Amino acid sequence: MSDCSGGSCSTCSSCGSDDPDRLPPGMLKVYNLNQSTADGVLVWVETEPDGEGVRIADVSLELLSAARRLSDGRVFAVVFGGAEVKPLYPSIFGCGVDSLYHVREKALETYMPEDYASCIVSLIKRIEPATVLMGATLRGRELAPRIASELGTGLTADCTGLRADGRKLIMTRPAFGGNIIADIECLRFPQMATVRQGTFPKPEMREGSGTAIYWQFKEVVGKDIVSVERAEESGEDIRDARVLISLGDGIRDRALVDVAESVARKVGGMVSCSRSLVERGWMPRSRQVGMSGRTVVPDLYIAFGISGAVQHRVGMSAAGKVIAVNSDPDAPIHHYADLSLIADAGDILREMDRAL
Amino acid sequence: MRFAVAVKQVPDTMEMSVDENGSLVRAGVPAILNPYDEYALSKVLGMRGEGDEVVVFTMGPPQARQALTRCLEMGADRAYLLTDRDFAGADVWATARTLTAFIMRFVPDADLYVFGRQAIDGDTGQVPFEVAAQLGVQQFAYVESLSSSEDGFTAVQDYGDVSMTCRVPRGSVVSFGAVDPNGTLFSISDYLSAGSKTVEEVDRVSIGLGLYSVGLRGSMTKIVSTKTSSGARRNRKVEITDPAKGAGFIISELEAMR
Repeated sequence: MSDCSGGSCSTCSSCGSDDPDRLPPGMLKVYNLNQSTADGVLVWVETEPDGEGVRIADVSLELLSAARRLSDGRVFAVVFGGAEVKPLYPSIFGCGVDSLYHVREKALETYMPEDYASCIVSLIKRIEPATVLMGATLRGRELAPRIASELGTGLTADCTGLRADGRKLIMTRPAFGGNIIADIECLRFPQMATVRQGTFPKPEMREGSGTAIYWQFKEVVGKDIVSVERAEESGEDIRDARVLISLGDGIRDRALVDVAESVARKVGGMVSCSRSLVERGWMPRSRQVGMSGRTVVPDLYIAFGISGAVQHRVGMSAAGKVIAVNSDPDAPIHHYADLSLIADAGDILREMDRAL
Repeated sequence: MRFAVAVKQVPDTMEMSVDENGSLVRAGVPAILNPYDEYALSKVLGMRGEGDEVVVFTMGPPQARQALTRCLEMGADRAYLLTDRDFAGADVWATARTLTAFIMRFVPDADLYVFGRQAIDGDTGQVPFEVAAQLGVQQFAYVESLSSSEDGFTAVQDYGDVSMTCRVPRGSVVSFGAVDPNGTLFSISDYLSAGSKTVEEVDRVSIGLGLYSVGLRGSMTKIVSTKTSSGARRNRKVEITDPAKGAGFIISELEAMR
């Protein structure tokens, strides 16, 4: 379309020239028919079971408040669930949401990526947001590509930064295991991104009010779900800890796990770990930090005997301060720590336990 | 039954290092079969019964053939290499579109389309689900175990907070959630017979896609700039000989935080 050679052409307006002499007779300005009418931001509000009810996932709260700052346009939110979602309305509106779409279909109370995607696609077609954001959680990372694919739009996964330039969104994400940071643009509306937890500050809880709309979606296809089991939660979540004592492959003595637990108790923190300890069966899966585990944002992360493979680093790179204890002076973790101690992790742990 | 397994060749990011300027050192980094894909393939091979066929395919440069050869050594029956200069620079959308076109043309009748969780170089794990949407089939992510029975498959999915068991209809996309840290062992007979199996090359024209549907031109996202990581922190390295002193360092940091 922009291959117009210019000069004598006066038959079409598609080259975007604003020179009135070059417009067809009678035409005063160039109308860009491909200009999208998309505007605003849509956020999928993910809920987590919390006792008898549900609560909003932290990453969704972060995104809701970030959406307000990213856009001059409206901020839309969509949430799935039944009556248990209603008590969440004030906190959702408190983050600055203008319109909340509540999908209240019995068949969609259990998460199913296919139907959730079709439902959100139907909503996107109606409200035409310029940007669609979701948390880069296990479900978000499965749902977002399904939606992007049905809409034929671009998707940037696992972003660690977002900034806006008008309606345009510039998304930042690490590649090659965090060795490179790339700024990425989406070439089509809606621009889609999944965003890692901790990218934006968690907003203070405020109560607000706004318009809640029940969104009808009748074309539920369903899925043949045999059973859904809630995993046993230890009660405490490493994502809430301010101090994490994290253990890695360099911990060779199982007794050190108890030492670490004791240190964590004394400093008011929790013990987390890298994948190898979960595989050895020394720690539960819920304590694992990293790509196949959880993303944590503590104020202080102390890595004992962790080599710092990419898969682990993505889970802790946003920590406030990182201290690494590793006897290998060439371990990659040292590049990502504020303070590195080249020492045996076990010795230091035992000594800390004694001293505290 | 027929299984189609998508794999990727990746640089071994564990071996990757950063030089003193903070730039990525890629020279001499070996290319390997993505460990997540290797795991997925090993699971499929473990399920294979008499008369079943396992087809592997990858998109990549001509040297990605090595990754397919490894799959054949592990016991896969047939391999396709989607290679074409036009495929270069593809983002998630363009990759999914290319793979979907390939599937429709070459393995439309597979009972399962199997993927690994993610590639260790891109870390996104989005391709399986874009393919599932384009094929219009159900998707099963983070699959922990997959079993087959007479009327189809059953998958157990691990969503962290819940574990979901679903029936998997034929033709679905399955993405395995884990990786085997120890790699996989393969039988010597499979290893030896790999030489007689062939890798078939597939280009853009043979899957019937236009120039602007694939690769960089067909991508919906664009990288506007890159910089080497600012993730590195101002590092202070201390060699500790006396553990008590080291513990003291950490304890003083902890106290400073309060």
